[in-house]
Amino acid sequence: MIQISDLALTAGNFRIDHLSLDLREGVFNILLGPTGVGKTLILESVMGLRQIQNGQIILGGKEIQNLPPEKRGIAYLPQDLALFPHLTVRENLRYGLRAQKKATLDDENHLDRLIEALKIRHLLERYPQGLSGGEKQRVALGRALAPSPRLLLLDEPLAALDPSLKNEIQQLLLSLHRSLGFTALYVTHDLEEAYLLGDAISLLIDGRIEQKGTRQEVFIRPKTAKVARFLGLRNLFPGHVHPSSPDGKSIVIDLWGREILLPAEQAVRSLTAGEKVILYLRPEEVLVLREGKPVKEALRRNILEGGVSRILDRGTYQWVLFRPAGLEVQLEIHLPNYVFRNLLLQEGQTIRVAMRKESFWVIPQISG
Amino acid sequence: MKILRTSVLAALLLFVFYAVLIFSLLTSFEGRGFWEVFLASDTLFAIRLSLFAATLATLLAVAIGLPAAYALSRKNFFGKKVVDTFLELPMIMSPIALGAALLIFFNTRIGETIQSRGLLFVFEFPGIVLAQFATIAGLFTRLMKTALDEITPRYEAVARSLGSSAWQAFWHITFPLAFRGLVSAMILCWAKAVGEFGATVTLAGTMAFKTETMPIAIFMALASADIPKTIILILILAGIGLTALYAVRLLDKRTQVL
Repeated sequence: MIQISDLALTAGNFRIDHLSLDLREGVFNILLGPTGVGKTLILESVMGLRQIQNGQIILGGKEIQNLPPEKRGIAYLPQDLALFPHLTVRENLRYGLRAQKKATLDDENHLDRLIEALKIRHLLERYPQGLSGGEKQRVALGRALAPSPRLLLLDEPLAALDPSLKNEIQQLLLSLHRSLGFTALYVTHDLEEAYLLGDAISLLIDGRIEQKGTRQEVFIRPKTAKVARFLGLRNLFPGHVHPSSPDGKSIVIDLWGREILLPAEQAVRSLTAGEKVILYLRPEEVLVLREGKPVKEALRRNILEGGVSRILDRGTYQWVLFRPAGLEVQLEIHLPNYVFRNLLLQEGQTIRVAMRKESFWVIPQISG
Repeated sequence: MKILRTSVLAALLLFVFYAVLIFSLLTSFEGRGFWEVFLASDTLFAIRLSLFAATLATLLAVAIGLPAAYALSRKNFFGKKVVDTFLELPMIMSPIALGAALLIFFNTRIGETIQSRGLLFVFEFPGIVLAQFATIAGLFTRLMKTALDEITPRYEAVARSLGSSAWQAFWHITFPLAFRGLVSAMILCWAKAVGEFGATVTLAGTMAFKTETMPIAIFMALASADIPKTIILILILAGIGLTALYAVRLLDKRTQVL
């Protein structure tokens, strides 16, 4: 475990206080957050490039916050990669080994394996300026991993890449991580990237870790409305806990004048009667019912009728806006293309939708 | 396109202006006596003194200007903007004023103490070096800062994360990348030091075979109305300066090719 606790630092008018972050060893840790919240500052502090005012950074059981960067065993991959332009690819790759005086057979074999895995053997005598974007990414990764760092910091290295190259490097990062098992802290504001790469995700909003957990925990079960909003989650509806509700195992939420019975574990925490909540309904989990087809007993309780107000083709799925009859709300429904084609939906059409209780997640309006 | 053509015309006009100046020297230059003046002991002394003093002043400017430029480029510190502004002082201040300021300084208690300890500047060789240093140090620091600003600090950050100390990261990464900028700045400042007159004459005076640099030799030849010698000395000085500046252009060209 790599522990960052009670970190305090300032940069100009920007300040981070009491920040704590635990990184699991051997996994791909993601620090996810909007731009301008200080993610890079945190990376620089962990690396030792920025003086911290308070706090502890523990790596391998030792406090490292007072060590200079070269003594920390932390490799850094910045967004612009910073390949040394006056050195060949081979010299770039060997830079860390030379600086750390690592010259054992194991070190050489490790570098050789990296060169093989990254498919850069044919580039060794070339200079960085002659390489393509993807080749530069591979070389920079190889250079960072060559001295076998205890932690690899990656500061949005894929942010400037076009989608196909980004996808290629993401796959490479995943397979490299699977085979080498290094510990990484990857900083990004890109939700898709975080979801794809992150074994453990920490969400940084307004200078504090708002939530941490697996990708499922963070993306499907946001702890606060702030997290839900940052993740761009749709179908967030205000409701409140029904007075007759809590029996410990289940809760009843008042939403749009109807009572929705949910298992208690589908809420962030135990709730009290009358408490205001936000109900999150996953758009990809809403079922559009076919005319004339029998509806399962479990679904009958939460059926809405209304009209299709808009359909947007999002390429990989269809985005259907549904307005329930008599309500001033709009539901977003994500349908896979093949389902959409079978349903023959059109704007203005009246349909019925079913909301499965397992598709809901209850977030208290006041987090506690 | 019209604006480009006008700009090219302006550049050509400038070239013609300076070429006419040199050409006017050549029209008054009889050709005979060039080697006689060139090989005369006072000319050779002036050339040697100029080259030696300018080299020393340039090395001093590098020794102080390089770390100063590095600090100005990489660090934020209290008073940075003031320091940065002061670097341009020699460019906005007349060299004579700079020399006069130095002369006055050596008349203060601190200056006199320095002189009384045996380190003589006024009307002495160290005075030439100091006057030239005062003229070029700011310029050198400014040129080096510009060269260093173009090198992202992330190179050093990465080098340090790979195990290099701050000094090693500078030496192995930043220094080689800034090397061409350093050599260009050195040549430019050296050429400026070779041609420096105002501050030198004020602090070191015009003593033959003692403080007679090339510009002072020109001044002395002109003062004694020896026009042919003046022209030859000007041509020698222009030759030294232009060769140095052409070397900078060659270096820039190589940088662009790479």
